[in-house]
Amino acid sequence: MTYPAELSELIEEFKDVEDKMERLEMVFDMADEVVPFPAEQWTNQTKVQGCQSEAHVHVQLEDGKVLLLSGADAKLVQGLMGILTLAINGSAPAQALLLSPDFAEEMGILNSLSPSRSNGFRNMFDKVMKDIRQFV
Amino acid sequence: MAIRDDFPILKREVNGFPLIYLDNAATTQKPQVVIDAMNEYYTSSNANVHRAVHTLAGEATEGYESCRNILKSWFNADRAVLTSGTTEAINLVAHAWGRANLTDGDVIVLTEMEHHSDIVPWQMLAEERNVELRYVPVMEDFTLDMDAYAASLEDAKLVCVVHTSNVLGVRNPLEEIIELAHSNDALVLVDAAQGVPHERIDFKESGADFMAFSAHKMCGPTGIGALLIDADVFETMQPFMGGGDMIETVTITGSTYQTNEHKFEAGTPRIAEAIGWCAAFDWMATLDLKKEHKRLIGIARWVAEQLREMDIPVYGRHEAKDSAVVSFLHPSIHSEDLAHLFDSRGFAVRTGHHCAQPLLTRLGISGTVRASFYLYNTMDEAKQFIEQLKDITERFG
Repeated sequence: MTYPAELSELIEEFKDVEDKMERLEMVFDMADEVVPFPAEQWTNQTKVQGCQSEAHVHVQLEDGKVLLLSGADAKLVQGLMGILTLAINGSAPAQALLLSPDFAEEMGILNSLSPSRSNGFRNMFDKVMKDIRQFV
Repeated sequence: MAIRDDFPILKREVNGFPLIYLDNAATTQKPQVVIDAMNEYYTSSNANVHRAVHTLAGEATEGYESCRNILKSWFNADRAVLTSGTTEAINLVAHAWGRANLTDGDVIVLTEMEHHSDIVPWQMLAEERNVELRYVPVMEDFTLDMDAYAASLEDAKLVCVVHTSNVLGVRNPLEEIIELAHSNDALVLVDAAQGVPHERIDFKESGADFMAFSAHKMCGPTGIGALLIDADVFETMQPFMGGGDMIETVTITGSTYQTNEHKFEAGTPRIAEAIGWCAAFDWMATLDLKKEHKRLIGIARWVAEQLREMDIPVYGRHEAKDSAVVSFLHPSIHSEDLAHLFDSRGFAVRTGHHCAQPLLTRLGISGTVRASFYLYNTMDEAKQFIEQLKDITERFG
């Protein structure tokens, strides 16, 4: 699958890193990419199920493009949200829907995370895609 | 020969680093003799138990029933039902004793320290039978409020108490709890899942009416546990799962049931697991458990002191009879992030609510990181754990 250029570069960067702690640190750093979703606006509807920590996402359209807002209490989850933000924000909804969650596996992130966390990522990805679908 | 040499898994690496396994309160590792016993059963003796007359069935039955015999002698108990684990054992009491003996307005006393498996079955029964549940609070020193406990016993038919908290490592004053309950004509169920790995318990001497625990927390296999039952109380219980093995006769108009423990063991039981558990008991019998426990609580106390010196809150007190569990909350690194970072260096620790949400609510937190030590852990591993925590704090805190 082909990815947006920025995401493809990131995938290559992650692939080059063998040390798991370093890879985790890189995920943590991706938290900077998150468009914040204030905790006051977190509801049951925005909650990502299956995450061990508290994680919330909200998708809206801005000038016809996807804008993902997200927030979590754990840095790792924030980082995963940041990567997803990088992958879809600014895309047309139909284009964002083409994204496959496989990029997380290609980056070695899923391998570096516990199964519950991996499921949490998948649940987050699926929820974001479901939210985008309402705009198509 | 060092204890850890008996555990093949401890030789493996995780993420390129030697495994340091500190999640023993969740499950313990298995010595080679347990693995061999289960392997040998499937290789040489696999058959179903009790009914068939052939040689393999005889060997399987002997292996399975020898587990019951070991349980009875290890714990000094007259009745030992083999279950899938602590959870099923407690559910068995709720169904087999609770339904036969509890009615409208009866009271069950629980504590805020209980594992979910000693709360949810009672909530389900309470809803069905209109039974009142009362919870004994946990105080700031992480112990039960014994005055509140004494006051809660009016009309109580059953007291359910955890032997040792899986979060705090605190060992409850069971002797006092059981005596008070009995003087109020209430029976006592002890959830000893975290107790039996650390303490050699005499069931009859303890006075408990029910005691539930799992094999996998004491170097035995997963999927098997036991419920010890007082002989007189045993007679007041009705079977709740129907099927093979638990019957005496079946006709199209009705059935009669076995009168021994088999009446609570419907269906093909966990034969390989029972045989593996026997091997675990035999292996543990070669150790001086009191000496080992003293060593482990010493390690836990040292770790707790180190954490406090780093201004990290520790939830527990680590007295002589407590288990070697250290729960803490890092002030600047989220528990889950911390667990992943530890994992990246080969350390296995636990995070989350540890299936004890009411306790964490009482403590005003949503989760902890928990390092729990067992027979094969060493002081050197504890030192590496603290060193790693310091490194992680410096880099990510």
